[in-house]
Amino acid sequence: MTARTLGLGHAGSVVSAICGRGMRRIGARPTLIMPVLLMPLIFVISFTGAFGSLTRVEGYGTDNVFNWMAVYAALQGAVFAGVGGASATADDLENGFFDRLLLTPGSRVPILVGTVAYSALRSMIPTTGVLFVSALGGLSLAGGPLALLTVYVATCGMAAVFCLVGLTVVYRFRTMRSMILVQVFGFSSMFLSTGQVPIHFLNGWLHAVARVNPITNVLRFARQGFLGDITWSLTWPGLVALGGMGLVSGALSLRQLKRLAA
Amino acid sequence: MRLDSPTGLRLASAQTLALTRRSVVSEWRQLGNVLPGLVFPLLLAAVYTHQFERVILLPGFPAVDSFLDFVLPASLLQSVSFGATEAGTELARDIENGFFDRLRASPCARLPLLMGRLGGAMAVAAAKGVLIVMVFLMFGAEIAGGPAATVVVVAAAVLIVLAIGGLGQVLAILTGNQEAVNATFPLVFTSIFMSSAFFPTTLMSGWFRQVAEANPVTWIIDPVRRLILEGWSWSDVGQALGVPLVLSVITVTMAVVALDRRLGAT
Repeated sequence: MTARTLGLGHAGSVVSAICGRGMRRIGARPTLIMPVLLMPLIFVISFTGAFGSLTRVEGYGTDNVFNWMAVYAALQGAVFAGVGGASATADDLENGFFDRLLLTPGSRVPILVGTVAYSALRSMIPTTGVLFVSALGGLSLAGGPLALLTVYVATCGMAAVFCLVGLTVVYRFRTMRSMILVQVFGFSSMFLSTGQVPIHFLNGWLHAVARVNPITNVLRFARQGFLGDITWSLTWPGLVALGGMGLVSGALSLRQLKRLAA
Repeated sequence: MRLDSPTGLRLASAQTLALTRRSVVSEWRQLGNVLPGLVFPLLLAAVYTHQFERVILLPGFPAVDSFLDFVLPASLLQSVSFGATEAGTELARDIENGFFDRLRASPCARLPLLMGRLGGAMAVAAAKGVLIVMVFLMFGAEIAGGPAATVVVVAAAVLIVLAIGGLGQVLAILTGNQEAVNATFPLVFTSIFMSSAFFPTTLMSGWFRQVAEANPVTWIIDPVRRLILEGWSWSDVGQALGVPLVLSVITVTMAVVALDRRLGAT
């Protein structure tokens, strides 16, 4: 029996089983989701509370700081969710479960896709939490209900990307400790963007870095519906950035998975 | 062993030093655990300095040449807080793996069991504090209070580690679980963000401002910041060192009581 003969149906059931296993794990141990949920909530409360007066600076772009910070906190939560998905694989590698997965017949790709799907799905929990708290703070939907859709697309996408980055590292080093590297990378990448202030507020090297950081485009895409109308000119660069990051991290993680399975 | 005799006190000091040394060596061997505590605060300071330049012009913001001067105490506090719970985590690890029971079986006083690890965390915090201040000075930050104020600033950070470390040890003794101790980190992280660490409370509003003003972190950050921005003042020195000292006395006393109860119960 080969991967080819098992077909797409089998691949789909493996993806669904791995994704479902992750979600059941959250159900069985809710403490697993607490950091992923709590950290972005702490971010949105802290950033809006501490930096609320930023709206008084000319050119900030909104008079309610929640409209700016909510998306940033939600995306940070998505990064944590993505890294957390990869951490589950690190756990499986350390306790030997992953070796048993590799012994099963069929392609290895659904194992990777299932983990990514799990990460994207679980990112919806912190995103919903952040949007709920922000709504209490007066978050406005200037772009209508589509604004919510853009946030969920962006956060699911970011969770998938950072899960793939995490998997690349974890397939290579096979330890939970290696996830610290991905956390540092994810956290730093978010800070080196327009997370807290518009790009024209940034100066020096930070302005140059934020301009080329693809996350800046993802933030623009996700944030547009809270600042004004949703436009195609802000949408496509965000989707391209997500797609590009997904392709690169996907190729890298697949390469490491093949090495691991060889 | 009695601590009220000169021999007992000397022995207890030697035991504390030995456990402090063990704690520092353990940190040195796991530099990967120390690095995030240096990299994150410095990265955050670099980013905030370049993104909040317009903010320092807002009415109500303290008079500063650069946001770098303003954010120095926050970065320092953030840096040392990363390893602050380590004293508790180490104690919980020792309880989990049985080393603590072996120490108890040895002729070792009770206080060194706690102070040894706290001493290690404080030594690491002092090294981190000096490093952070040096990096800030290299990038153009100025401490108006001069070298004496610099010593006070680092000493305040070290005392904060003692306070947080004491709290970590209370949890370690009560639960004997590393995860439970690690759970204090988000609490510390939140306390820093919900204070005047990154923005003055005068520019905050509503309930958040009330929380920030009532937050002990603000009571420490504000005098430390005045020493950096405005210059030497005995009242600021007293507040910068007094508040974390009082907190340390409270948490370390709680740890000693918890240890006494644990040892009494077994």
